[in-house]
Amino acid sequence: MTQRSLRTASRASIGCARVKMASSFWKGVVGVGLFALAHAAFSAAQHRSYMRLTEKENETLPIDVSCNQLQDTDHLESHACVVFLDTASLVLCFQIVLQTLLAFVITCYGIVHISGEFKDMDASSELKNKTFDTLRNHPSFYLFNHRGRVLFRAPEQEPSTPSAQALPSNPLRLRKLENYH
Amino acid sequence: MSSISELYDVSWEEMRDKLRKWREENYRNSEQIVDVGEELINEHASKLGDDIWIIYEQVMIAALDCSRDDLAWSCLQELKRQFPDSHRVKRLAGMRLEALERYEDANKLYDSILQDDPTNTAARKRKISILRAQGKSSEAIRELNEYLEQFVGDQEAWHELSELYINEHDYAKAAFCLEELMMTNPHNHLYCEQYAEVKYTQGGLENLELARKYFAQALKLNNRNMRALFGLYMSASHIAASPKVSAKVKKDNVKYAAWATSQISRAYQMAGRGKKENKCSVKAVEEMLESMQITMS
Repeated sequence: MTQRSLRTASRASIGCARVKMASSFWKGVVGVGLFALAHAAFSAAQHRSYMRLTEKENETLPIDVSCNQLQDTDHLESHACVVFLDTASLVLCFQIVLQTLLAFVITCYGIVHISGEFKDMDASSELKNKTFDTLRNHPSFYLFNHRGRVLFRAPEQEPSTPSAQALPSNPLRLRKLENYH
Repeated sequence: MSSISELYDVSWEEMRDKLRKWREENYRNSEQIVDVGEELINEHASKLGDDIWIIYEQVMIAALDCSRDDLAWSCLQELKRQFPDSHRVKRLAGMRLEALERYEDANKLYDSILQDDPTNTAARKRKISILRAQGKSSEAIRELNEYLEQFVGDQEAWHELSELYINEHDYAKAAFCLEELMMTNPHNHLYCEQYAEVKYTQGGLENLELARKYFAQALKLNNRNMRALFGLYMSASHIAASPKVSAKVKKDNVKYAAWATSQISRAYQMAGRGKKENKCSVKAVEEMLESMQITMS
């Protein structure tokens, strides 16, 4: 049984190398996703502080305009400027939201690939392959007075009995001869 | 003699994972554990880190199974050096004494553990195992019953008690123990199936009906359980052949037995497809099922 189980392990080792490469790819994906998420968060914070600044300018702007009636063209330009700034910031806002969502999806997808096999929800399905071979073994109650104690014993070297040399590989037979002496 | 890793081209991580799988699923393949574990300990001890202590424990118990007392002794020495006052290591020393059949010394050791720590379950279980090894099954049963009165949730102990009762042919009490196990593990098809087998062994019409029901339950939980399928077939055939049943019950059971037969033949056909001897083995299965028919003598 060692041969079969360890041979599957050796086959798995070749697959393991491939799996390791694949998992480093998905780790890269998760890294990129997290970085994009952080970038989106940072730019959202920046955008918010920028919006605060432009709003302050909006509030102060009418007072200045009312004082300077000679600067009508300037007022128009600044108004156009404000409108232009509004659409740009709207687009930017939309872009940030899109980036956040995309980064989130990419991170989730990458994590699912790293985290390993999904298990069935069904409690009985993981027992499908269990057999009585392993169920009946209770490690806390193991007994040692079984034939393994004799079967695996190394043959005792007894130079006085010549028959012992003739049968070195059969410890049970040796024991029988011992009993006769 | 080439090492395991050369022979099978596996790395030390795979050997360590294999050992962990064997440990977690209670495999008792001691020869392999000794081979793999000995090499891990001798060659890759530094890479294992803290895993090495639990591997020492696993290899020591396997070495006792394989009569490798030298290896067991060295593992025990390493563990004693690392954990000088541990009860767990003392228990391992006791297990080594048990393997050498020095039961009085082992008992003294376990008594000293229990003096220090009266709630230590491992030492109590080893004392029960000593009684069992010495052949004193009735005392072992009594002690195990007392243990279970205090530690009602110990599934291993319930299963061990059921096995002890089966050895004593006290099937009613064994069924009770298995009922406890089924209550706490309702999704485990193996307990259902073992309970059904005990009921089938007890015999009598009600027990056979109960056995058939629990075989069906085991099949519901795991439709690949061949023993339960055979059990269903046998119990249904027995009930159908019994003289005390009504005609309707007889008809129903003949139907169940026929269904079980078809499932068994199909399973053997599926298992043997693509192999040359398929036709012969399928025929053998059919002949076997026919010969298992309960005939009135």
